[in-house]
Amino acid sequence: MSVEVRIPTVFRRFTNQEAVASLEPGTIADLVAQLERRYPGIGDQLLAEDRQLHRFINVYLNDEDIRYLNKLETQVSEGDTVSLLPSVAGG
Amino acid sequence: MEGSGLADVVRMSRALADEMVEHCLQERPNEACGILAASNGDITKVFRMTNATRSPVRYALDPQEQFAAYKKLEESGWDLGGVFHSHTRTEAYPSPTDVRLASEDVPYVIVSLASDPPSIRAFRILKESLIDADGRIEEATVVVEEGEGDGPPDG
Ligand SMILES: [Zn+2]
Repeated sequence: MSVEVRIPTVFRRFTNQEAVASLEPGTIADLVAQLERRYPGIGDQLLAEDRQLHRFINVYLNDEDIRYLNKLETQVSEGDTVSLLPSVAGG
Repeated sequence: MEGSGLADVVRMSRALADEMVEHCLQERPNEACGILAASNGDITKVFRMTNATRSPVRYALDPQEQFAAYKKLEESGWDLGGVFHSHTRTEAYPSPTDVRLASEDVPYVIVSLASDPPSIRAFRILKESLIDADGRIEEATVVVEEGEGDGPPDG
């Protein structure tokens, strides 16, 4: 069993339109690294230059926002689902 | 390549359009926001959401509500058909902030309360990358179907 990462439509140009990626368990940071290896370019969309998550990306582990867990160090186990969501805002 | 092949028409019933506008009026003087569910190109549901910024000039979907709504879309087999928000005093056209922060590859529906009745227009904001501050604005067509009869099903 692996970890399921759900990819929003805005990133599917990096994933050959795949909506879900099956990855190995690890921290969120590990998963981002796995995504970047599999889909080059996607990492820069997720992490800012300070290697923290871009503020316009929200990441959920199952139903919880990882900002309220352990952020990029949040541990993801087999069978968990990670969802990436663009934050939607404007003026 | 972005934007190609996606419907650039937002088609909704009068009842759903009224529901969206009503939410915008209720939230005045702040901007209102939400998302639209679609099925086979027709809007099927309006999700009224909380403007997390509670501001007359900015909006942000509450992230937890957004997550719940997207989950509901998936469970229902619906697509994200659009994102909507209001402009309380300006025309229904994307502001520089709307372009800078645009993140979804779906029409952004803007309800302007500056006119009476409110006007509704929709735009796609095309970017090479989510992190780009610049985007190209393309207007999408909004079709509000006046049809009477059964109306949308309950629920
Ligand atoms: Zn706006």
